[in-house]
Amino acid sequence: MIKKTFKIPDMSCTNCAMKIESLEDDLDGVKEINASYHKLEMAIEYDESKLTDDEIVAAVKRKGYTAIPA
Amino acid sequence: MSQKQNKPSVDPVIIVMIGVVFLAVSIAMIVFQSNANSVNIAADSGLLSQLTVAFITGLTTGGLSCLAVQGGLLASSLAYQIEQDYAGQVGRKKTKQTAVRTNSALPISLFLVSKLVAYTLLGALLGWVGSYLTFSPMTRAMLLLAIGIFMVGNALRMFNVHPIFRYFSIEPPKFITRYIRKTAKGTDTATPLFLGLLTVFIPCGVTQAMMATALGTGSALIGAALMFAFTLGTSPVFFIVAYLTTELGAKLEKFFMRFVAVVVLVLGIYTVDSGLNLMGSPFSLQNMTRTWFAPQAEVAAPAVPAKDGEIVLNVQNNGYSPGILRAPAGKDLTLNLVTNNTYSCARDFVIPDLNFYQLLPDTGTVQVSIPAQEAGSTLFFTCSMGMYTGQIVFENQ
Repeated sequence: MIKKTFKIPDMSCTNCAMKIESLEDDLDGVKEINASYHKLEMAIEYDESKLTDDEIVAAVKRKGYTAIPA
Repeated sequence: MSQKQNKPSVDPVIIVMIGVVFLAVSIAMIVFQSNANSVNIAADSGLLSQLTVAFITGLTTGGLSCLAVQGGLLASSLAYQIEQDYAGQVGRKKTKQTAVRTNSALPISLFLVSKLVAYTLLGALLGWVGSYLTFSPMTRAMLLLAIGIFMVGNALRMFNVHPIFRYFSIEPPKFITRYIRKTAKGTDTATPLFLGLLTVFIPCGVTQAMMATALGTGSALIGAALMFAFTLGTSPVFFIVAYLTTELGAKLEKFFMRFVAVVVLVLGIYTVDSGLNLMGSPFSLQNMTRTWFAPQAEVAAPAVPAKDGEIVLNVQNNGYSPGILRAPAGKDLTLNLVTNNTYSCARDFVIPDLNFYQLLPDTGTVQVSIPAQEAGSTLFFTCSMGMYTGQIVFENQ
């Protein structure tokens, strides 16, 4: 398991954070996601053998946001 | 990928709410035909007529009065929904479907249902517990100030003025968001529900009058029924005004966020101003503008009491007359508060500096003793929600 932080500059409300956290249910290999509208970032703990950074960025994009590795 | 493009053309929630509106209007018309003059909750009237009058009061004066006071919370709850929909639109961008509309009916309905439940419970509590829950004017003033600052902060957040304003948006704890996500599948149902519950803490004057009546019933069941009938009566006005506003806004597409921010900002400033009025502050916008732009007739009026040692203030449905009372300094006075079929929150009368607070009868005269004041000093008075204001200026004769 590895923990990484991504900047998400285009969150506009706390609901955005909730939407991004819903990736917990969608992505295989994710243990936990904590997204913060206050900090405009998300911390994700995941199994790197099952998931790559690019896949995470793409998944966030599908939710309508831009993830930038911090 | 974007499989949920086709929304039903008519939201079922709208149909239900239109039904409620028609029902409310028809009941109002029937009752008003037979009882045009007196909207008065008399102690002797039967339970059914008490509930009917409570409903009509909500439908007429209560709806607009409460909307003025609690509209900010409703706007805030809509703002969250709109932000979410707007964010969704941006997310799904470039798919050339510009007709994604905000689903404003759902949050408005959730807000109103939550408000209805909250006030019904409050009515039960008031009927049962008694007067313990009555807030003092100063407590309410502080509450209004806090809510107003929260709203202004949120509006500035929406304008993206500074990152610091993001902290005006409350991030719910993780376990709650997870619970909401599991149950509501990403729809923000919690915000309007929560804000609807919060309206209990900022009742408008008419609502307070109704709360006082619920208090007097001495029964949890009747108190709950009374508040239910009243709050149900206020719902159509809330729904129509809020729904039309948001639907109009939805057509403005990307400008709508700014529009909502402006509305929240204006309501926030108004709420702060109401709080300042209720504290008796001379620096509220209402008090300052009245002092600066008082009609010449009022400025020129001499400090002559109606009778020696007495001054008269007419408490009307649209406020206080005259707005500026002139009184002689240096001697004790009696202020006669005259009501005549007054049902607005103006009759919930407060003089903050004297710590005076009383719900006036809808018709009658109440006397207030005013101790001698220094020449040049001003006593501000207001309704209990800081909506209607006025002042007594003390002068040497």
